[in-house]
Amino acid sequence: MLKRTIHLVLITLILLPILVLMMLSFGEQWIFPDVFPQNFNTKTWLKLFSSDSEISKSLGLSVLISLSVAFLSTLMAFVFSKVISTSKYKNQYIKLAYLPYILSPVVLGVLWHYFAVVLKLNASFFGVVLAQFLICFPFGFIILSSFWSRHIYDIQNLSFTLGASTYFSFKRIIFPLAKPILGLCFFQCFLISWFDYGLTQLIGGGQIKTLTLSVFNFIKEANIFLAAIASLLLLFPPLLLLFFNKKIKFKRSLINTH
Amino acid sequence: MNLKFTYTKLLRVIFLMLILLPTLAGFTYALLYSFGLTGLLSEGFTLKHWTETLSDFYAWKSIGFSLMIAMISVFISFWISLFLVLKLTKDFQKKWFHRLIFVPLCFPATVMALYVLQTFSKSGFFSRISYQLGFIDQIESFPELTNDAYGIGIMLTSVLMVFPFFTIYIKNIFDAEKLNEYQQLSQSLGASSLQTFWKISLPILWRKSKLTLMLYIIFVMGSYEVPLLLGRQNPQMITPRIVDKAQRFNLQDIPQAYAMALMYLGVVLILILVTSASFVQFFKRKSDA
Repeated sequence: MLKRTIHLVLITLILLPILVLMMLSFGEQWIFPDVFPQNFNTKTWLKLFSSDSEISKSLGLSVLISLSVAFLSTLMAFVFSKVISTSKYKNQYIKLAYLPYILSPVVLGVLWHYFAVVLKLNASFFGVVLAQFLICFPFGFIILSSFWSRHIYDIQNLSFTLGASTYFSFKRIIFPLAKPILGLCFFQCFLISWFDYGLTQLIGGGQIKTLTLSVFNFIKEANIFLAAIASLLLLFPPLLLLFFNKKIKFKRSLINTH
Repeated sequence: MNLKFTYTKLLRVIFLMLILLPTLAGFTYALLYSFGLTGLLSEGFTLKHWTETLSDFYAWKSIGFSLMIAMISVFISFWISLFLVLKLTKDFQKKWFHRLIFVPLCFPATVMALYVLQTFSKSGFFSRISYQLGFIDQIESFPELTNDAYGIGIMLTSVLMVFPFFTIYIKNIFDAEKLNEYQQLSQSLGASSLQTFWKISLPILWRKSKLTLMLYIIFVMGSYEVPLLLGRQNPQMITPRIVDKAQRFNLQDIPQAYAMALMYLGVVLILILVTSASFVQFFKRKSDA
């Protein structure tokens, strides 16, 4: 009985946010004290497909920024994790990579704002990508550092002994072995960028309207129905991945990733 | 070989630059600005901004408020997770349960804050249900759970976001430490469930998760979106306060914003040092024994 009650509470606690957002996204006119909106229709959702829709523009921009940041961070993190893996100060390098997380990205955004202005990167797509990259890259580095184990180097050396070139060894051995962790790193960096609000707001100066910024704007405009749609769109990629790929774990903790 | 060595060294320097340079540059600029050595209204070296910031009651209140919210949120999340792991140990093997516990990790802070706002505010979902059920007779009668003086809405959002991760994390420790076997052993030696919990399970889980809990306290302290939506001007969490000061039209406030940012970084570093020191001490004692 107790177990059932716990299950029920847990299911409600976890699924209620999605249900409430779904309800709001299809709702219209939610006047107190009505528990549910007066009308349910797809009108707000259909706005998403109109050519001048702010949400679809934000969606496109968010996808572009997150993909760029994730690709750049994963690529660079892979290269640098290999270079650092042979250093005798490897652990010290990894500890340094924790810095941006401990010091809060938003506070770093405040500190970086001046440099973004001087370099003419504020309120620009590239400025936001660069700022998010500076946060995602250390995270990617921490994830990928765990890949370069003794075992991987042994396999690589074996392939060299058997006559493989550096390129062949990378293409046929290292890359296939690294694929799962590269996928994890890419997805994690994508999510950090996808979820970011503070840094984008500060460096983008409110001009780079990603989905998270749209949610805030809609809330400020008291348009909770559009805010709910933008929120559901934000939830979509991680939920999709969770549903289809259980292998990719959500490693939020810095300890866990190390 | 020599070229490869130089190339590796160069890449390591570039790595250090990528990690340290942006942070150090920002830190140095903030330091110079807060001492009046740079900036639009700079008048040369002055301690004025630091004196004002350090004697600003509201700045300290913000830091204290942030720390309190973070500690309470992490404490509650830890106990919920502990309860779930110990009560539902076997359920973690079920596919549906495993997936369910991962779902909240898909929520960005902004979305979770929006949900809490629409559900727990005075005009939110639960207030409407309470009205329909006759628990309240007007909108004002519903308790203030968002944008409130105690940060209840912020804590609620933080707990909703943090407890699933802690649950997964604690379950991993539970498995890795083979806690199940220790529990069985202690009970077969005559210990009660309560004794097993206080003397075996809790100390092991606490020792293993202490550092992560500390890091999460720092993360929650530095959260921005949630207090922006669910907080208020007084008391205000530290990050919205810093951003507010830095982005105001009054240029006189900017040096104070930088001083406050540095003050916050100082507090965070002290927290890390204290934690690390206690860990070093713990391991030293262990190795001495």
